[in-house]
Amino acid sequence: MNYIWAIMLIVGVLFAAAKGELAAFSDGLMASCTEAIYFVLGLAGIMAVWAGLMNIANKSGLLDIFAKLVKPFMRYLFPKEKNQDTLAMMIMSFTANIFGAGNSATVFSLKTMEMLDNENARSTIASNEMCMFIAVNMSMVQLVPITIIKIRSDAGSLDPGSIIIPSIIAGLISMAASIAVCKFFERKDHV
Amino acid sequence: MTHVLSAISICFIPIVITIIIGHGFFKRKPVYDYFIEGAKDGIKTAIEILPYIIAIFIGIESLVSSGAMEFLENLFSPLLDIMGIPKELTSLILLRPVSGSGSLVLVEHIVSAYGPDSFLGRAASVMAGSCETVFYVLAVYFGVTAVKKIRHAFLAGIIGYIVGVVASVWICML
Repeated sequence: MNYIWAIMLIVGVLFAAAKGELAAFSDGLMASCTEAIYFVLGLAGIMAVWAGLMNIANKSGLLDIFAKLVKPFMRYLFPKEKNQDTLAMMIMSFTANIFGAGNSATVFSLKTMEMLDNENARSTIASNEMCMFIAVNMSMVQLVPITIIKIRSDAGSLDPGSIIIPSIIAGLISMAASIAVCKFFERKDHV
Repeated sequence: MTHVLSAISICFIPIVITIIIGHGFFKRKPVYDYFIEGAKDGIKTAIEILPYIIAIFIGIESLVSSGAMEFLENLFSPLLDIMGIPKELTSLILLRPVSGSGSLVLVEHIVSAYGPDSFLGRAASVMAGSCETVFYVLAVYFGVTAVKKIRHAFLAGIIGYIVGVVASVWICML
């Protein structure tokens, strides 16, 4: 991440200098900081609500019931994951993603990452579970991409929803590829 | 089909809330206290990720506002050509991994310029519907952990993304 980020910024500065657009560049950077704060502020509210609700579900035992239900499916992806709460949180994140509850999904995902981090003893090297979780989560397709359908119908599409099935198929193919990469690296580690 | 699916999506949040509160209440737990306790935690997490979000936002802005993104687009379009991906989609493909809202603006442009039911319009829509903001997710998710070496998470994300892009275009060609 250190490299990626440094390259992003330095390349930006060089290009802006070469094009003589340094003023616009600086303005853009400053504006985006503010944007980031607004974004997190918006997220903080949703985050608080879901973290609160999940705390209820956790302490009332609902999460355990839920975790048991989805265990078979999760066992394949996360064979070493024993903690039921983490698995339940992962499932919440996946479900929220599928149903397009974008920011709520982010909240569950971050919570999951925190839990995985603790299980990983706050090591500086990512665990297999973290990689797999991110890989699956990244290609988790929204069942109904509402924003995109909205864009299409605004542009006068005859059938705005026609992209739903292709999106799901493309998403599944992409997910299979990500999972395969993870499984490949996990196996390599064992040898 | 579309209607059923979107109805499910709309009902998702209310149903989850009802089940959680209902179950807790039924079990005679102090739901309000639990909520507050969890919410405090949630706010803490939000503040923790703030620096990471700012970092990734300025990183992306740096590439976009300096014109470096444009340069990359020209650089990548011959490669995409080989895979059968039209060059009109290049900027979307490059922007999507870093910025969700930015790429939606591009989808809007493509859809209104070429028509929502044209091949390009459909391919752009499917791509935005099926491919994730890979870099953004990596930065923010690992932001809450102590991890410095993200190992194969990066590769898994990128390969999944490329496969997703190619699959989106090919499905729309059928």
